[in-house]
Amino acid sequence: MNSPFHRSTTPSTMNRRDFLWQSGGGLGGIALAALMGTEQARAGELPSILSGKLHHPPRAKRVVQLFMAGAASHLDLFDFKPELVKRHGQPSDFGEAVEAFQNGLGPWKKPVWDFQSHGQSGKMLGEVVADLGSVVDEIAWIHNLVGKTGVHSQGTLLQSTGFNRPGFPSAGSWVSYGLGSMNDNLPAYVVLPDHRGLASNGTKNWDAAFLPAQHQGTVIYPGSETPIVDLFPDAKRGDFITSASEREGGALLARLNATHAATRLGDERLDARIRSYELAAKMQLAAPEALDISKESAATKAMYGIRDDVKDWPKTINAEEEMDIFGRKCLAARRLLERGVRFVQIWSGNDNGFPRRNWDSHEDVERDHGPLARGFARGASALIRDLKQRGLLEDTIILWTTEFGRMPSSQGGGKGRDHNPYVFTNWLCGGGIKGGTTAGESDQWGYKPLDRSNPTTCYDIHATILHQLGIDHTKLTYRSNGIDRRLTDVHGHVIKELIA
Amino acid sequence: MVRFTPLILLAVCPSLLAASVDFNRDVKPIFEAHCAGCHGAEKHKSDYRLDSREVALAGGESGNAAIVPGKPEAGSLIHFVDGSDKELFMPPRKSDAKPLNAAQVETLKMWIAEGANWSESSVKITANAADVTEHWSFQPLKRPSVPGSEANAIDAFIHAKLRERGLSSSPEAERRTLIRRVSFDLIGLPPTAEEVDAFCADKDPKAYEKLVDHLLASPRYGERWARHWLDVVHYGETHGYDKDKQRNNAWPYRDYVIRAFNEDKPYARFVQEQIAGDVLFPDTVDGITALGFIAAGPWDFIGHSEVPETKTDGKIARHLDRDDMVSNTINTFQSVTVHCAQCHDHKFDPIKQEDYYALQADFAALDRADKAYFADAALTKRYAMIQFEKRQLDARIKTLDEEATKAAGDKLVKLDQRIDTATKSLKGNGSPAFGYHSAISPIQDAVKWVQVDLGKSMDIDKIVLLPAYDDFGGIGAGFGFPLRFKVEVSDDPEFRQGAALVWKRHDQTFMRDFTNPGIVPFTTGGAKGDFHARYVRVTATKLAPRKNDFILALAELQVLDEAGKNLALDKEVTAQDSIEAGPRWAKANLVDGHAPVQPDAGAGDIASLRAQRAKLLLESLAEPKRKQRTDATEELKRVTAELGKFPKPQMVYAGIVHYGTGAFSGTGPNGGKPRTITVLGRGDVKRPGKEVLPGSLSFLSPLPSRFDLKPDADEGERRAALARWLSDERNPLTWRSIVNRMWQYHFGRGIVETPNDFGKMGSLPTHPELLDWLAVWFRDDAKGSLKVLHKLIVTSEAYRQTSVPDSALMKGASEIDGSNTLLWRQNRRRLEAEAIRDSILLAAGKLDLTMGGPSFQDFVITHPEHSPHYEYQLSDPEDAKIQRRSIYRFIVRSQQQPWLATMDCADPSMLVERRNQTITPLQALAQMNNQLALAMAKHFAERVTNPTSDPAAQISAAFRIALQRTPSDAERDDLVHYAKQHGLANACRLVLNLNEFVFID
Repeated sequence: MNSPFHRSTTPSTMNRRDFLWQSGGGLGGIALAALMGTEQARAGELPSILSGKLHHPPRAKRVVQLFMAGAASHLDLFDFKPELVKRHGQPSDFGEAVEAFQNGLGPWKKPVWDFQSHGQSGKMLGEVVADLGSVVDEIAWIHNLVGKTGVHSQGTLLQSTGFNRPGFPSAGSWVSYGLGSMNDNLPAYVVLPDHRGLASNGTKNWDAAFLPAQHQGTVIYPGSETPIVDLFPDAKRGDFITSASEREGGALLARLNATHAATRLGDERLDARIRSYELAAKMQLAAPEALDISKESAATKAMYGIRDDVKDWPKTINAEEEMDIFGRKCLAARRLLERGVRFVQIWSGNDNGFPRRNWDSHEDVERDHGPLARGFARGASALIRDLKQRGLLEDTIILWTTEFGRMPSSQGGGKGRDHNPYVFTNWLCGGGIKGGTTAGESDQWGYKPLDRSNPTTCYDIHATILHQLGIDHTKLTYRSNGIDRRLTDVHGHVIKELIA
Repeated sequence: MVRFTPLILLAVCPSLLAASVDFNRDVKPIFEAHCAGCHGAEKHKSDYRLDSREVALAGGESGNAAIVPGKPEAGSLIHFVDGSDKELFMPPRKSDAKPLNAAQVETLKMWIAEGANWSESSVKITANAADVTEHWSFQPLKRPSVPGSEANAIDAFIHAKLRERGLSSSPEAERRTLIRRVSFDLIGLPPTAEEVDAFCADKDPKAYEKLVDHLLASPRYGERWARHWLDVVHYGETHGYDKDKQRNNAWPYRDYVIRAFNEDKPYARFVQEQIAGDVLFPDTVDGITALGFIAAGPWDFIGHSEVPETKTDGKIARHLDRDDMVSNTINTFQSVTVHCAQCHDHKFDPIKQEDYYALQADFAALDRADKAYFADAALTKRYAMIQFEKRQLDARIKTLDEEATKAAGDKLVKLDQRIDTATKSLKGNGSPAFGYHSAISPIQDAVKWVQVDLGKSMDIDKIVLLPAYDDFGGIGAGFGFPLRFKVEVSDDPEFRQGAALVWKRHDQTFMRDFTNPGIVPFTTGGAKGDFHARYVRVTATKLAPRKNDFILALAELQVLDEAGKNLALDKEVTAQDSIEAGPRWAKANLVDGHAPVQPDAGAGDIASLRAQRAKLLLESLAEPKRKQRTDATEELKRVTAELGKFPKPQMVYAGIVHYGTGAFSGTGPNGGKPRTITVLGRGDVKRPGKEVLPGSLSFLSPLPSRFDLKPDADEGERRAALARWLSDERNPLTWRSIVNRMWQYHFGRGIVETPNDFGKMGSLPTHPELLDWLAVWFRDDAKGSLKVLHKLIVTSEAYRQTSVPDSALMKGASEIDGSNTLLWRQNRRRLEAEAIRDSILLAAGKLDLTMGGPSFQDFVITHPEHSPHYEYQLSDPEDAKIQRRSIYRFIVRSQQQPWLATMDCADPSMLVERRNQTITPLQALAQMNNQLALAMAKHFAERVTNPTSDPAAQISAAFRIALQRTPSDAERDDLVHYAKQHGLANACRLVLNLNEFVFID
């Protein structure tokens, strides 16, 4: 049968084509293909995107995703609601029955921080994120995002993978798969988690799932003793290893493997594995260099809120330390992007626990959002400015997101807010995004979209980002368990108003 | 295929055309089979669609009417399909759809002539083409004739295909390659060098067969093949999603799978046990532990435990939960992608949306939870019966008491008030001086201490901590009692020297917190005068949570001598800090002799009030209910006593009827009655449609699509029916599916390359006759024995042939069949992550072959109280507990083991039909630098150093252990030279990183 449905695109036993496909895209894939002079072998049946031909001319090459774990409040940061100020303390009336995650919606609650207008666009920002004021005209706002449920795990997966259950590749993995790396020596997709721990779903939020493993986000902890797991042998366990033993061992391993491969012609995997050790050695040089910020100027560090002068931070959470932490990640991100990394995902906040070290402010928005918000706002604004002054902002998209928003009423009359999956905010900038615009408003309370029949979904955001990268989101597919899977499932529209 | 009968009749019997045409029966199938791919509900090419009468009549973008009711020749539709329109022919000749035959054209004409009547103005017409049931995999199994006289039928089929293409097999692999290949395949471990030598020297013509029998009889076989199975069923030992809590009782299912393979359980039984073992084989342990299959996948803890089924989010969580059960079942046993039919009829396969929900109905009573069982099945049965009895009794008592409560009226209300007052008076503090309370800390891990000075050194027998009571924050009993603490004595008030640890339950490496004791005193063990000291100090290393902060508080600290005298009474207390909020909280209150009232004090009053209450209730009931209530009490006593006599049951995490409380109550409280399942519009829980009864796929005639069950049938009967349906010998998918999976693990690729998708979107079989022959032979001749199937496969020439034929054959065959789909040679394969890890441990001489039981954890859990952090980097590679086979590794969903994940191990959140095989620099880094790999390289070096000090002999030994061959002179000289420069451990590390170590020829 020559039906198009019978074309098998499942990764298969290693024939040449499949192998190259699987190697393609991610770390080392391009180099492997080039090494073997087989670029042309990757064309043919494969999606054209994998052979380097994009669906349309791209406006962006790189992506930064800032993820606020725990559900950051749109109402206290970005989505100003005068009505809430006016009605603060009055019994809340949503005009319909509301199913809250934890029951007990209290009175209307005004934003915890005062709002002021910023930039030419006059965008109102909460005082706690006022640092973003300096770049506010670069940013496009989407205030009518909707989720599917108010459950953290599902909401987080939905934003990171487009599905509210585990088992699907993250947006970064799709981008890595679609575009590959611009550098042999570093992974295409890097994740900088919160130093305190992983958000809901752990590593599933940067999983490659059914895509080949090299498209999984590589976790990096900049500034830590082992920023990348197994990049170097552990000093204690590997006390028998020296730089000379490494150097000569690498050469000997390659020689022994070459002898083995010589009697087994026609199996590219054997050569590829030899080459993978060479690339690993290159990465051992490149990664520390990329993460070394010691040569960055004092002014740059100050812009990012990095404080080399402070050695002992207070034991309690505080804004200065959060700025230092988030700023270091943003600076590392800039350095990685400059060196060809495609997609960087930066996390603020870890899992749900007490005391709150994420954005899940059921009890006290001011206490728990405050330090995290000041921290990310400083780092993010510095990153935007820094990319701009280096000419990188024009082809780097930055996405700010979170799993859902928070309610316009207080939780049980207290200082916190419950989950609001019915509306929340995303923002985008750079990479051909039209700054200073707003696409999609929430209603007077910030409870649901103003136009309930036309909300924005994560599919639309993902479709738009892929579009800017030169990819038609309906055509970037991978066959898994009988379905040609997409990042955008069967949904998604490019948000035209956002494009410059 | 009853539904096609009318058309067939029409074709052969034109006279019947006189009968009127029925749209649904006669016309719709034509549209669906030939037109709807482009003009149905999904696609409307040229703006034309046949699912709307209006558009179907009016025509598409051309603007010409397509159908004119009553006038077949007037509209364009007939001209497009009968070839009379010279420019446009439908369906297009290059499309998949076949042209209409003459009878079908006549049917359409007749229908239009009769007025083009539709059942409704809009009907659902999708490309669910009528002939998809003719797809190869849905056809009944028939045994094809074997196309040759080869000793092994497999070879006859393989050779026949090769001959068609002018190809032939490769010669048999040499013996070292063969034993390595078949050992890794069957037991997941390499042979020893000695086994290789023996096999190479064995002149017996049955040497290979003996080897295969030996390997299949090894317990290692079950461990190897269980891992493949656990990939398919996405087995994991944490829930996944938010918090990712552990499932400490999942492993009995893993052990069941290992046992099933080792005992060579017939496949039909293997299928049945995993779906309904408790119903079909009620007297067996396997019948219970096998139910771990249903619960193998991820589970949304928060979506169940915090959100009840009455809320939308709770409904979604449970819908996703059943979806996982259905997908796991149908993907695993049927190799079709049923989950695609959740929102609409399957686009490519004949799976109706209703079928999908019928399958959900099969599991509608279930949740995932621990199920109790005993090694003795009779005991399990009795335990379940008594538990059942107890639940029945509880329910009966509840009903009777509700009735009695109504009848008792005011009297009861008053009595309850008295009980309430009495209980309250018991709670809390007998004195306004509560005890000692530290300063408030914003962090939990702050260290705080409080100590008493006995005045002089004294003999101490034991130390008692009496917990405090305070209603602040709704905490009450045990207020401020530390989660981790130690008790020390010393003669040094600073505790800098001579401090003796009296009790330390929770040091920093011990992961469990002390549970709040309420107001039950905590006593250190008797020290029998061993302790002689002046100062006694309690140090909290993990404070008790208050509202959003942390404290240490105690009502009383008693230091007892052997006579039981409290030496600490009214002595001086010092502390690191204290809130000193008198009169309640003060340092001195720690030794003032006042502590919250003991639970038994004053209990007499309450007990008598409660007795009065019971009496009142009883008297409020009229006979015979009064007697029933008395009997029930007696019964309950007996039943409770009986339950108490049982030994502690074992637990397996399984798909069961759950008897819970709160948001996660399960169906148990409703007597295990299955939840009502309806079709959900677009899979949306807010759009329930018609109710669906239990059943399965509807296109595998003669298997029933809905189960013939009484409306009040027990939920277990639904699963039993499904289990029978799946294992029915007439079910063609079941048998094709399993032989294809087995084939894949032996050749690296299935006869069907998509083992979880035998539908239209899946691959076609490369050797359809072989697949069917194997399926029938496995079912009928081998009686479902997997070991017999293995033996047939691995003794075939196809399996035994070399992967490295000579270059002439290689070149010629590569041009014709470069990807070796016809198997003109064996495929070289990279070892799976687990096989690499196990081989490294084996080479180092460290592999512990202990079987079964709880999984080893190659990580350290931090922050267990909220979301456990699984810290693999903190695992000690020298810890003997983790040096077991990888099948016994504790499998975390949210954080996969980084090394094995890099090596493409199965992701337990996905149904892994087949592993990816990637080659990346991160793998190279992991295999070179992973802590376990480094530690094992050292042990490997020690192992080859011990017997000999000759470097050349050491290198040879390393090769024989790791690769089961002696090195060439060049290899040996190179490595000896390298070892002299950099040490043998470095040389051994290289050997473990060789391509030859991870690839099997």
